[in-house]
Amino acid sequence: MKKIFLIIFLCLFLSGCGNYAELDKLAIVTGVAIDKKGNDYEISYLVANSPKDQTSSKEGEAKTTVYSGTGKTIPDAAMVIEQKSPKKIYLGHVNVVIISEDIAKDGFFKVADWLFRSPETRKQFYLLQAKNDKAKDIIKIISPLESFPSQSIATLLESNRDSKSASTTTTYNNFVGYVLEEGADPILPTITIHGNIKKGSEQSNIETTEPTAYLTLGPLAIFKEDKLVGYATTKESELINLIQNKIKEIKFSLTFKNDALSIDSYNLKTKLSIEDESHITLTITGNGNIYNINSNIDISNPKEIKKIENLWNKSLQKSLKKLIRKMQDKYHADIFGFGNKIYSTYPKKWNQLKKDWNNKYFKEVKVKIKSNLKIPDTGSLKDTLTEARK
Amino acid sequence: MEKISKNVRKVVDKIRKLYGESPDLNTRIIDIQGQKIGCLFFESSSQTSTISDFIIKAVDYTKDNLFDSLFDSLKNNMFNSQVIIIDDFSKFPYFLSSGFTIIVVENIDKAIVMETRAQLDRGVTESTTEPILRGSKDSFTESHSKNLGLLRKRIKDPNLWFSELKLGRRTQTRISLAYINDIADKNLVTKITKKLEKINIDGILDSGNLSDYLTENKSSFPQFQSTERPDIVCQALLAGKVVILVENCPFTIIVPTVFIDYFHTSEDEYQKSINISFTRILKIFAFIITLFTPAIYIAITTFDQNTVPDKLLISLAVQREGVPFPTAFEIILLMTIFEILRESDIRSPSGMSAAMSIVGALVLGQAAVDAGIVSPITVIIVAITSICSMIFTDIDFINGIRAWRFIFILAATFLGLIGIFSAGLILLIKLASLENYQTSFLSPFAPFNLTAQKDALVRFSIKNIFKRPKYISAKNQTRQRRSS
Repeated sequence: MKKIFLIIFLCLFLSGCGNYAELDKLAIVTGVAIDKKGNDYEISYLVANSPKDQTSSKEGEAKTTVYSGTGKTIPDAAMVIEQKSPKKIYLGHVNVVIISEDIAKDGFFKVADWLFRSPETRKQFYLLQAKNDKAKDIIKIISPLESFPSQSIATLLESNRDSKSASTTTTYNNFVGYVLEEGADPILPTITIHGNIKKGSEQSNIETTEPTAYLTLGPLAIFKEDKLVGYATTKESELINLIQNKIKEIKFSLTFKNDALSIDSYNLKTKLSIEDESHITLTITGNGNIYNINSNIDISNPKEIKKIENLWNKSLQKSLKKLIRKMQDKYHADIFGFGNKIYSTYPKKWNQLKKDWNNKYFKEVKVKIKSNLKIPDTGSLKDTLTEARK
Repeated sequence: MEKISKNVRKVVDKIRKLYGESPDLNTRIIDIQGQKIGCLFFESSSQTSTISDFIIKAVDYTKDNLFDSLFDSLKNNMFNSQVIIIDDFSKFPYFLSSGFTIIVVENIDKAIVMETRAQLDRGVTESTTEPILRGSKDSFTESHSKNLGLLRKRIKDPNLWFSELKLGRRTQTRISLAYINDIADKNLVTKITKKLEKINIDGILDSGNLSDYLTENKSSFPQFQSTERPDIVCQALLAGKVVILVENCPFTIIVPTVFIDYFHTSEDEYQKSINISFTRILKIFAFIITLFTPAIYIAITTFDQNTVPDKLLISLAVQREGVPFPTAFEIILLMTIFEILRESDIRSPSGMSAAMSIVGALVLGQAAVDAGIVSPITVIIVAITSICSMIFTDIDFINGIRAWRFIFILAATFLGLIGIFSAGLILLIKLASLENYQTSFLSPFAPFNLTAQKDALVRFSIKNIFKRPKYISAKNQTRQRRSS
């Protein structure tokens, strides 16, 4: 018994409280922005827990502070911030990391190691790329609906992923995984500021009814390995998501008999099948509802519906072909993971292909697109309104 | 054994001397046709009206109707339900102190003892320590015979046996072991009796004195359930347990007791089983919360911040801003103050408790937060912890939890979550190693008993419980027969 007590005693008092840290002595970083300043790196930390003032601290509200530092290497820059901050920098709760366009073009892996190696950080934070603006400015913008910027960016990403088919979320882990994966290239969501940057970072931005500056998600950034090669348009972003099977619903706009026609699709599914290393078939199935139609047709007629279905299928196939062509010829970025599919089906053949995959073989892949889209329902109106007027 | 002297005056003088000429000792010598009889009783513990109505009158009657010898006539003429003949002088003090009247007769070495006890105890009242919503409201009292009566009244089976022994050299306290003969384990009864017989102490005043003698384990958790409700005792008896009743003490001890018994109440059998199952799971949660919350709070705020969601962590961090003490000290301070408050609230007369709650709630809660001495979250943590511990009725169990809570707090202070898990493991090992009279404390979970699960964590309808738990008594397990 005495021995047990001795062991417990020693455990308690000799352990030395290894990673002990009081919560109020920590600067909790929730957002990180990485920019390039000439040849140097500039990192900015968004510290979320600086108390607003003496009275409101009890309500659990917090003001955010941005510390930034510049250095030749990333750790140098981080060291500058450590010196600036009165509290210990704590990276365990980093939520959002934003890299600037320069960093993205330069290659993300040059800066990634530092965050990945730190045992403190979670690897599940969202990665974004700032388009047109400095990454530092983006984490400064205060949003009226969320308590601190990084949170508002994360919510913006999540709600857009769920409601809008043109966006996606990429976590740090995901991104690195895609780069390291055989025959696959990553995509990143981009973010831009609308309005006055300087005013957006002031407290007054959330006191007005119409914020002077706000953040929006831009088109997807296309990466080849870890380097930025270009951007996709909104329409293309939707299709990329469709091929990657990330979304089930897209709103399509078609022109049918010179009139606008919108189809609200659901249950979209993409199947990637492979015949040999240079022939890939994409099969897209799904249903759609007509949700806006102005043309002068009788949609209760199944023949007319058939026509619309045909048109829809053709237009989708056409735009998908165009998108894949663009990736193959312009960006040489295999964001669809064709190479990965070959790797998992024919691992031996892949070994010969993998050296020149992006530059040579990927371009030569013939993609056959099949689609089977159906319109089982025409909504709650039987006729079109123009038709009914007659 | 000491012989009773044949000289009445000598006997009376001896008793007087024995009690140090105590003024409440009443000795009366009556002369009946030349033969002296002595009448001894304590005014303080006997009902004097009973003595004059029945004994003196009987003596008077005997005076005129003397046919046999004086001793036999007296014995036969006593109008009393309890007349005992003794021939041992050493038994005199026990009977006298218990409120009996002793009559000694000249030239006879025997004495007549009659029950003339005064009503020195309160009547049967409602239980104050274990209030319930549904079920019988009576509770045990200080009167031993009343307590036994409350049990007899409920279980009319002649197999309800009481075996009695007296403990305490000076107090001579009556201890009764109650059990149902054809259900309870006989070994258990003999083992308990043997253990109790070994006790050689001057006084036993409460059943709480006995618990420590009955167990061989060291643990802050109580090993034996104690209750003042006769219906809980009857439930235990019907399950095959042995109940120890102590004279002058309304609290009984139930042997054997297992861990899960502290999560059960007498009402469990009277209410709808599905709702009771919910309540029991709630109690398990409360147990976990009250044991771990302060420790986990310390661990996640000082060591393992990674485990907290972002928004919560920032909210916690901002609340802690400006608090002068380390988190662990803050928690220990507030927990200690709460324990003091609870203890003084129990001890203080009811008139003072209102003032106490105002001081406790306003000064310690609101004002301490406003002054920035403690953070509001700490107050919340301590409040949750203490509310959850109040869900249990057994004060020993609550205090057992408290001891471990502080162990967890210490472990978390030094080692974080790792410390909590290690301490939790130690607690589990400790609980699993407890065993009393071949019943493991964690039964029916370890060792696992499937049929007993019907009334453990959840409770099945009484219609479906056919067997008594095997870990209590292996014999005569059928409780209910399937109706055909």
